[in-house]
Amino acid sequence: MAHLSYLAVILFVALCAVSVNFGFRLRLGGYWRELLQTQLVILAIYLSWDTWAIAKKSWYFDHHQIINFDVLPKVPVEEFLFFLVVPVMTILSYLALLKLTGWKSQEAADDL
Amino acid sequence: MIYSDIALDAVVLAILADLFLLRTQMITRGIFWLTYGLIFPFQLLTNWWLTSRKIVQYSPSEIIGRRLAGAPIEDLLFGFSMILLTLAAWEFFTRRMKARSQG
Repeated sequence: MAHLSYLAVILFVALCAVSVNFGFRLRLGGYWRELLQTQLVILAIYLSWDTWAIAKKSWYFDHHQIINFDVLPKVPVEEFLFFLVVPVMTILSYLALLKLTGWKSQEAADDL
Repeated sequence: MIYSDIALDAVVLAILADLFLLRTQMITRGIFWLTYGLIFPFQLLTNWWLTSRKIVQYSPSEIIGRRLAGAPIEDLLFGFSMILLTLAAWEFFTRRMKARSQG
């Protein structure tokens, strides 16, 4: 089970994301194109940075606590999943707070 | 270029992208700071999980050594840059889509 330590925290964020999406009826799936575009931007930038930093040993992972499947040279799949899940949760938090506060997002304000 | 330098650069570049490249001006809006304030404790929680269990460790020569909730403070700069860039990109792409659909 120790191998799943990193994966556990990603699963926690993913469960929060699913709960917030359906709990607040945000229907993020309807914006899948914009979501994908945003994720590609984040993945390209942060996975490059991560790959470079891991190569120069800025940070390193405990191989007993990850599943040991690399997506890029020495970059654990957990890092890739982290950069996928965290932006989704960030956008959902933003959409949920827009809904809760009733504040308009900028483009909605521009329409008025 | 250690982690500290790059993390600081990432914040500056994310702000420049938000203001001038994507023109989303997220950092001038209350909703952005409210969202950041909500995510911040969750970042501390995941940082604490990952560092206290030594799932990830940092090379001492790559960080200045100050820590919060177990993780190098540089992580807060990284986190801020990623949250800002995520929301700026999201605003940029959704606005473009809405502008197109209004044609």
